[in-house]
Amino acid sequence: MSQNNALPKKFISSAKKCGFDTALMQAAGVPHFYAESNKILSFQKTAGLEMKAQSFKEGVKIKLIVKKGVKIKKPIFLCFGILKNQGKQIILPEIILEEKAEAKILAHCTFPIAEKITHRMETVMKLGKNSRLSYQEKHYHGENFGAEVLPNFKVLLERGSFFNNEFILDQGSVGKLKINLEMELKKEALVEITNKIVTRGEKDKVEIFDKVLLRGENSKSLIKSRAAAIGGGSVFLQGETVALAKGACGHIDCQEIVIGKKSIAKAIPIVEVCHPEARVTHEASVGKVNQKELETLMTRGLSEEEATDFIVKGVVR
Amino acid sequence: MALLKIKNLSVKSGENNKEILKNISLEIDEKSIHVLMGANGSGKSTLAYALMGISRFKVTGGSVIFLNKNITKLSIDQRAKMGMTLAFQEPAIFEGISVQDFLRAGNKKISRKKTEEILSLIGLEPKKFINRYVDQTLSGGERKRIELASVIALKPKLIILDEPDAGLDIIIYRELYGILENIKRETKASILLISHREEVGLIADRATFLRRGKTICSGPFRPVMRKYCQSLKRKEICLKTMPCLKNL
Ligand SMILES: Nc1ncnc2c1ncn2[C@@H]1O[C@H](COP(=O)(O)OP(=O)(O)OP(=O)(O)O)[C@@H](O)[C@H]1O
Ligand SMILES: [Mg+2]
Repeated sequence: MSQNNALPKKFISSAKKCGFDTALMQAAGVPHFYAESNKILSFQKTAGLEMKAQSFKEGVKIKLIVKKGVKIKKPIFLCFGILKNQGKQIILPEIILEEKAEAKILAHCTFPIAEKITHRMETVMKLGKNSRLSYQEKHYHGENFGAEVLPNFKVLLERGSFFNNEFILDQGSVGKLKINLEMELKKEALVEITNKIVTRGEKDKVEIFDKVLLRGENSKSLIKSRAAAIGGGSVFLQGETVALAKGACGHIDCQEIVIGKKSIAKAIPIVEVCHPEARVTHEASVGKVNQKELETLMTRGLSEEEATDFIVKGVVR
Repeated sequence: MALLKIKNLSVKSGENNKEILKNISLEIDEKSIHVLMGANGSGKSTLAYALMGISRFKVTGGSVIFLNKNITKLSIDQRAKMGMTLAFQEPAIFEGISVQDFLRAGNKKISRKKTEEILSLIGLEPKKFINRYVDQTLSGGERKRIELASVIALKPKLIILDEPDAGLDIIIYRELYGILENIKRETKASILLISHREEVGLIADRATFLRRGKTICSGPFRPVMRKYCQSLKRKEICLKTMPCLKNL
């Protein structure tokens, strides 16, 4: 297992496409874990960050622990992918933040020439009391609609912890994407979940199920989804929030833009409140681009297509 | 020379075919501020939208001549590319779009330095605002200023402003008129300014008074304003708030 930070070129170019700071990703001393198929390419620990990894026939298992009270200043980079046009990968990450730990994880999943690829990810996260985690996962599935990507997340937020979770797929094709996310929040825990997805063609199919359980008093959640169904692709978003305790408070905010024939967007918010002093709200807007935004940009000289493109880029940025 | 000539323009709503403007005629000079006044519902915004080619409104008669060209059938963006633009009464918000990106939307070549100068011109500190998003986190007044900045960035020849002074407090709208004069001076553009305030007299060159979708009169600001005030039976109020209009 090498410890030097060597990312294959195809990883770098796809990370660049997705807006990563690729110089930082490759810099010496930056904590990271990079794996291709079931091969561990490189990793770097840092003070207060434990890392244990193991590869198996179809993939890689990795456990990250940020120790109690440790604040990791540099972002921790994770990179997973398959660089061939076909194959299968299973990633089993376990991410633990001990009490009062703080970290920022930037994850990249890439299948740059995917034609027949399946990638499954079973992520388990535990955020200890008063810990803070920012986790951003950006995907690139190539241009050939040939990826099937199935990430699942199970997250537990202990008392007073904060989690910012962002999933972004706005470059290239999607193929098939199905995300299942379940979170449970204890007292005063806080989560912000953001999904940003753009489809490109008829073979793109997206399904996202986000479920938040507000179990503790004064726990709070926001599920924010932004999607553009373009080129005949379909996007289905289900945000579910269940509030079980006094002062629990949740909001689901879903905006989907539909562009072009055969494109389909669908949103289902589920709100369930089991305590008289809890509250969950939702808002959704599904359909064409806002007319006034369109007209404003056209008065600035943009054609209708240019204006639409500009608006979509902003919404899913 | 007239920059824009409106000849006998009639406009219907695209939704219910109701006639909103009847035989409107007026001319806007080069490098001038032309005020469009009239009571609520008189058709000011409709005229602004029709001039810009916004498709909710159908032109049923007459013509719009801009830079000696008949633009009556052109699309919004074609008109904008010729040098005409409009700032809406209630500007739209754009999620995820920074002020910098918004100012560059219609003028890709504009430098960062220039966008910062424009922000200063409209009274917003560039460093504080250039990376903000044009979304609901901006106050109403800030959003209106950014709308102005965005139309200035285009270097247009004609700027249509639909009540840029509505909803601003007294100090700010006086500052706004200063800004509009600066815009006129620095961009050498003409401004068609929709406003209900008598104080626009401080900066106006000419005016047109609309009532129930018709032009009542059009010409130098003061006589038009006088007619408008008489119609509102508000002459005394005008004179009190606007000593500079005493000679009306
Ligand atoms: N799309 C529409 N369909 C039908 N009637 C309309 C439409 N838009 C405007 N109108 C009507 O046309 C008239 C003129 O409206 P307009 O918005 O141009 O007035 P305005 O002079 O700008 O008023 P304000 O000072 O309140 O802004 C009003 O009676 C309005 O109700
Ligand atoms: Mg109006």
